[in-house]
Amino acid sequence: AQSAQIRIAHDNNPDPYDNPAHACAAVLKNIIETDSNGDVAVEIYPNASIGTATEAVQMVRDGIIEISLSSTGAMAPYYPNIDVLNLPFAFADNGATYEVFDGKFGAALAADMEATLGDVKILGFPDTGGFFAVTNSVHEIATLDDFKDVRVRTMTVPSHQAIMNALGAEAYPLAWGEVYSALQTGVIEGQMNPIPIISFSNFQEVQGFMTLTNHLFSPYTLVMNKDVYDSLSDENKNIVQYATQACVSASRGLSRIIEASDRGIAGLSKGMKITALSPEDRVKMREVTQAAFDKHVDENLSEEGQALVALFKEEVAKANASVFMSGE
Amino acid sequence: MREFAGLASHRLNQVVEAVVVLLMALLVLDVWVGVMDRYMFRWQLPWPEIMARYLMIWMALLAISCGIARREHIGLSIVIDRLPVVLRRGALVLCDVLAIGLFLYVLYYGIGFAMGGATRRAMIFGMSMAPAFAAVPAAAALCALQLGLCMVRDGGSQSIIDQGGEV
Amino acid sequence: MLVGAIFLVLLLIGMPIGFTIGLAGLAGLVSMGGERFLATGVSKLFAGLDSFPFLAMPFFILAGEIMNHIGITQQLMRFAHVLVGHFRGGLAHANMIASVFFAGLTGAATADAAAFGKTLVPAMVAQGYRRDYACAVTAAGSIIGPTIPPSGLMVVYGSLLGVSIGGLFAAGILPGLFICAVCMGIIALGAKRNKLPDPEPRAPLKVVAKTFAKSFAALLMPVIILGGILGGVVTPTEAASVAVAYAFFLGVVVYRNLGARDLYAMLLSTARITGVIFVIIAFASMLGWWMSFERVPQAIAQAVFAISENKWVIILLIVAVLLLVGMVMDITAILIILAPVLVPLATAIGLEPIHSGIIFVLALNISLMTPPVGACLFVLSSVTGERLEAIAMKLWPFLIAEIGVLLLFAYWDGLALLVPRLLGFL
Ligand code: NA
Ligand code: NA
Repeated sequence: AQSAQIRIAHDNNPDPYDNPAHACAAVLKNIIETDSNGDVAVEIYPNASIGTATEAVQMVRDGIIEISLSSTGAMAPYYPNIDVLNLPFAFADNGATYEVFDGKFGAALAADMEATLGDVKILGFPDTGGFFAVTNSVHEIATLDDFKDVRVRTMTVPSHQAIMNALGAEAYPLAWGEVYSALQTGVIEGQMNPIPIISFSNFQEVQGFMTLTNHLFSPYTLVMNKDVYDSLSDENKNIVQYATQACVSASRGLSRIIEASDRGIAGLSKGMKITALSPEDRVKMREVTQAAFDKHVDENLSEEGQALVALFKEEVAKANASVFMSGE
Repeated sequence: MREFAGLASHRLNQVVEAVVVLLMALLVLDVWVGVMDRYMFRWQLPWPEIMARYLMIWMALLAISCGIARREHIGLSIVIDRLPVVLRRGALVLCDVLAIGLFLYVLYYGIGFAMGGATRRAMIFGMSMAPAFAAVPAAAALCALQLGLCMVRDGGSQSIIDQGGEV
Repeated sequence: MLVGAIFLVLLLIGMPIGFTIGLAGLAGLVSMGGERFLATGVSKLFAGLDSFPFLAMPFFILAGEIMNHIGITQQLMRFAHVLVGHFRGGLAHANMIASVFFAGLTGAATADAAAFGKTLVPAMVAQGYRRDYACAVTAAGSIIGPTIPPSGLMVVYGSLLGVSIGGLFAAGILPGLFICAVCMGIIALGAKRNKLPDPEPRAPLKVVAKTFAKSFAALLMPVIILGGILGGVVTPTEAASVAVAYAFFLGVVVYRNLGARDLYAMLLSTARITGVIFVIIAFASMLGWWMSFERVPQAIAQAVFAISENKWVIILLIVAVLLLVGMVMDITAILIILAPVLVPLATAIGLEPIHSGIIFVLALNISLMTPPVGACLFVLSSVTGERLEAIAMKLWPFLIAEIGVLLLFAYWDGLALLVPRLLGFL
């Protein structure tokens, strides 16, 4: 007989090869069920079928479900300090994001989240599909000046709007459901998202240009109900921990694979001109946006939040400088 | 008793309707500001969209009790109109009692829901969600009260607006 | 099963549909066992309404109220009359044409039915039409209103399912015009049998021009709304608010017959209609949450696919369910309850979300005039004093023709998606 039931909610299609969210959830389910020999049953609710990502966090806290895969946007109403992660143009490469979120900063972030919310256990930070890219229908964006007056859709996240405005673009918050037709009809001219989302939404049909700005990295937070986690046997806790590790790896792996496949840059390049930034242009963009971000942080985040920003910058700098398997 | 209930229902509803009209007017103005901002001024105001949603929810939820006072909530009358008068009145009074129960449920848990909103941040002005969430228990309280008054007023003799509502 | 039984019993004893859904949902939550489910259920009332696109609904209602009040409707009828009055059964044809004009102003069939029932039906009777026939023509034409955009039903569908409302609007144009055409065909075919009055003399071009000039301000409205949305200038919600601003401008500045008192009444009536609809949406999201949690839609889908996995059969089943339920229930409520269950079925057999949307909207609009529960029939019957059964007897040829249009668009996706494709929504 089983001793615990875990229900996992996310808002993507129930196909592990389609998106990092279900890849992660499927890996969790598989490892937890088999390694506990059926002692813990896992059920997945995909496609936001029982509520939006924001509601899912509340449901974890209320004990309605046990785990949710929550975007930073979904966490923000409960944990304003998540804004720390919106430090623009921070990471040099994907490997640096792994180091930062698996390391000292990830642990500090999880601890602050657990302390702030009080009723959750943070398991880890799976990949949502990698760095943000900017697409638009006006002209190629290669330099800072090219952003001028391009109307770019963002989520209703103040720091995202501040970043886009700092680049010289015009930030334009819009509900997700209207984005495709708004791009198509020209109500808005551009948008920013990770590459899997851009290709999944077929934005190459309505956008002519994509710039690999890599200006944001926004992981999921794997949130679990604290009481349920605490009630697990030590053995089952251990299983959940290493299942999470595998889930995070799977999300990263699938994200890199999508980027490299026809659903990534290869496929998107058939519909859009793709531009990578020169190091010099990237530095210019980093300067203007980080200044705007620092101002935003000073005005909006608590002391703990500001301390987290400092730690984040420190750890990112270390990770950017580190070399894979150098023994550090 | 019936007259008093009818009068109380009417007075209460007049006040609620005035509030609802005010909210509706604010809603229109708010969305106009949003549109003008987007196409003319380009201030990139963050609040019109969010304000519009919360004004709409407050307006629509409060308006439920106006529909109750005027018995405008649509239902099915083909069966009930063929019942003997006593049964018909009994059924409609039962409906009112059950609906009061429904709104008392919403009121009871709605208070907890609204208080829980105090720790959730809305994306504007550093506001919490509590003022927006409070629409749920407030509207439920009004609906339960209005249903009680109308039940006494009508005693099951009301006619049903038959499925007339359509957008 | 228990939840379904509670739902049916409450509905039959006269419980308002919104509260019926709420009590059925509450029963579902109780059956889940545990107080925390009851608490989460309440949060769903808020979450279900917390959607910006929903705003288009009260705004389109308000714009329609103002347009009706300032006399735009009558203006459009006069214009339609000078265009087609010289055909046999000219007023009947004018009724259809006016419905098309009117469709660009309003999203509601009942508004059309009420306005035309008050004005055109008496005019037709005075000219020698039978009243039941005049009512039937008006009922048949009234569903053009919510088919050609703007359409409240499309706003609800698009908001609930995250489908582009602009795309749905685009998809509504062609079926709306088709319905007008087949109904005019039915009028012409039945002219002799229904003893329609002889044609009037053709209106001189000068009169046509003059009437056009007078209706110009009104005819501009659909151009603003549709042009704005389909041309990509504004989102549907913004277009709705622009429509209100335009109607307000016409009433205050051009026609000068819109006072503060009228405005109060219209704001209130808009709010009340919105409340009646939104209470259904709110409680349906509570019931829907219970259904998702218990995987009810998946169970229903399995049951349906057990009957057949053939695309043509499934489409027919969906249409039949909508028309049948539409005979006895309010269409907004049907949309809100059944869309989350039936749309995944349609998606599973490969229908575009916009295509499923237009099937839904057409079927539900048609059921506005099917007895025993048809909002347009009720409105016409109460406005004109004609018996419901008598209208229904004259209505069936139109009904069959409109169901034909529905099936055409349901099975020929190339036609159904032609306009959305041309305008780039796909
Ligand atoms: Na319309
Ligand atoms: Na019907």
